[in-house]
Amino acid sequence: MTNNASAAWAVFKKKKYHIIIPFTLPSLLLFLVFVVYPYGQAMYFSLTKWRGLTPRPTFIGLANFEKLLGDSLFWNALSHNLIYLVSIPAITIIIALYLAFLLTHGKARFRRFYRITFFFPQVMSLVAIGVLWSFIYHPTIGILSSIAGLLGAAEPIAWLGNPDLALLAVGAVVVWQAVGFYVVLFIAGMESIPVSYYEAATIDGASRWHLFWHITLPLLWDTIRTALVFLAIGATNMFAITQTMTQGGPNRSTDVLSTYVYERAFLSGKFGYATAVAVAMFLLAFALSVLTMRATRRETLEY
Amino acid sequence: MKRELSRRDFLKSSGALAAGVLASQALPFAAAQDGLPFEVAPEAMNPLGLEAGANVEGVFFEGGFGRSYIDNAADIFRALHPENEMSVEGIQQVSEILRPRFIGGNPPDVIDNSGAFNIPMDSLVADDQLADLGPLMAAPALDTPEKTFAETLFPGSQENGVFDGRQLYLNIAYTVSGIWHSQSLFEEKGYDYPRTWDGLMGLCETIKSDGIAPWTYQGKFPGYMVFGCLHHLIHKTGGIQTIYDLDNLVDGVWQSDAVLQALNMMYQLVENDYILPGTEGLTHTESQAEWLQGNAAFIPCGTWLENEMRELTPDGFNMVIKPLPGPDESTYDSLGAWPGEPYIVPKNAANVVGGMEFMRCMLSKANAGFFAKEISAIMPVFGGSESVELSGALTSALQAVEAANGGFNVLYGGWYSDLRTQVNNSTGELMTGRITPEQFAETVQASADAVKADSDIPKYTRA
Repeated sequence: MTNNASAAWAVFKKKKYHIIIPFTLPSLLLFLVFVVYPYGQAMYFSLTKWRGLTPRPTFIGLANFEKLLGDSLFWNALSHNLIYLVSIPAITIIIALYLAFLLTHGKARFRRFYRITFFFPQVMSLVAIGVLWSFIYHPTIGILSSIAGLLGAAEPIAWLGNPDLALLAVGAVVVWQAVGFYVVLFIAGMESIPVSYYEAATIDGASRWHLFWHITLPLLWDTIRTALVFLAIGATNMFAITQTMTQGGPNRSTDVLSTYVYERAFLSGKFGYATAVAVAMFLLAFALSVLTMRATRRETLEY
Repeated sequence: MKRELSRRDFLKSSGALAAGVLASQALPFAAAQDGLPFEVAPEAMNPLGLEAGANVEGVFFEGGFGRSYIDNAADIFRALHPENEMSVEGIQQVSEILRPRFIGGNPPDVIDNSGAFNIPMDSLVADDQLADLGPLMAAPALDTPEKTFAETLFPGSQENGVFDGRQLYLNIAYTVSGIWHSQSLFEEKGYDYPRTWDGLMGLCETIKSDGIAPWTYQGKFPGYMVFGCLHHLIHKTGGIQTIYDLDNLVDGVWQSDAVLQALNMMYQLVENDYILPGTEGLTHTESQAEWLQGNAAFIPCGTWLENEMRELTPDGFNMVIKPLPGPDESTYDSLGAWPGEPYIVPKNAANVVGGMEFMRCMLSKANAGFFAKEISAIMPVFGGSESVELSGALTSALQAVEAANGGFNVLYGGWYSDLRTQVNNSTGELMTGRITPEQFAETVQASADAVKADSDIPKYTRA
């Protein structure tokens, strides 16, 4: 018996590449052609001076990166990404956790209705959301201005026209759009936590807050971690929503790295330099995901 | 020996409407008794030697002017060359869509490289991507007898397309910019358009007390306030020499007395609270809609305004364009006017001759007439608007530019996009009262200095 089994195992081990290779090769090839090659090419373009019109960029070494370090517009855009990075993931996750906990443990009626409503923005395209919210923020016909008017504001508020408010206004839309997805994700996580834990804790006299803090949060940690990485990567991008709502304005107050890349490349015809900014953006996102995963690593709890 | 375009051929290919317009309105020497749209002299039939069967691919920016005038030009081309097919594609994001074609070495034969997302002309020139249009300029014009193509175009209208003596692009529209108001509103309220800046401020006060915001602008795109107001005021306070100084990056020009005076005048709109509240949060079309609804009295814009807002314009609105009044009456008339909507023929196109031949149809007198009548805009073609009934808006623009003895043109924005962006952004800040005229001058001068010091940016001069 044992002999037989180990012989079969040996045969399988010998032959396993006959199975693995044909199954992985196509996806490996696709990955090489459509992911690795373009990345490699982008790395090369970032070392060139290129107007994006001929197939022959001029190699200039690291000059683009040198220029980038002294480019105040680059740092301005990066600072906005960093503001988004520290605010959007935290706010989104806190709101999503709160709503998810209410919907799983509260006595709310119409739970299914709320779930679907919260999720709804997620199925709309970001461009449509940007256009919709531009109307909501519209200074004369927008609903926010009407409300402000009812509350006694003398002048309409130009949310997207005021450099002090625009970044906040765009960030709020992203939070609004993202919350629903994480509510659904967290509900799924919360529902897989055995009810007996909560029952036991309740008998011991634990409050709602205790239940959340000592049971839900630790057992949901893996899901939250994933959410953090997704949201952090999203905060380093922000292209679609910014481009539809403000194009980086007014006076660059909502410029992010991705809109700056677009402007340098397509509007100024500086593709080499723009690619260098894009490479910096890639390194930032990459470093961030590694850092987030490291910093939030904990023993996974099993139940 | 003249080959004539038969009316039947023309109707077949162009549709009854366009042909009707051509036949009845735009063709000064159409032989009406023969029922022919227009005659073409034998030497003007195919002067560039377009080969039969060589098709022409055109890709065009489709913006404020729409695409009907392009289709009309293509119909003329098809009638002229029945053996050649001509395709017309309208796009908005020229840079994104056409760059791969340039990199691949197979660009279309003719392109309208316009709009906010065009391919920067300086890049195209620097990478030697544009065909020399010399043969086209020297060829006989399509429907102006005894003249070359170049001779039918307004003098100076194609100067900015000349690089090292080669004509590399052609402007097909002549834009006048200034301040717009509703004639009907002014008549109803008994307002008179003032001839001095102080008069304008007085009128703004009256308008404000009547419960209308005196002024709005295209808030999210403050550049409209630059080409439609700031440049005009600088021309009025400092003359054309100061405009040249801006273009030539003369040291300290943005902090000169003339520019500061102009900035302070414009800033009075902010100080006196003359701007429609919320303007800074509006796009160009949104602010123009507010103006059309009578919520603001004045708005700066170019002559494309009428066509762009046609569907939202109330009946009897009667929009007219006027020059911005200056510090005294002697400076009243001057206003900005420039050739725009540049068309190019790529050097590596499959059918360069076809692209040029299309441009001969585009800038023909017949198509200029169509442009004036249907689009209410001006092509820089002699006789283009004769015998065409012009709209009130276009008539006011032509009168203004005539009174100004031709408009002035500012070039630094096309040469140095970084400086243009800074001027636009700082104007947005100034018009919302976030910076003072002095801070504006300082910031923009610093940007001009940075452009001047950057050896990577090619420099141009004018005099």
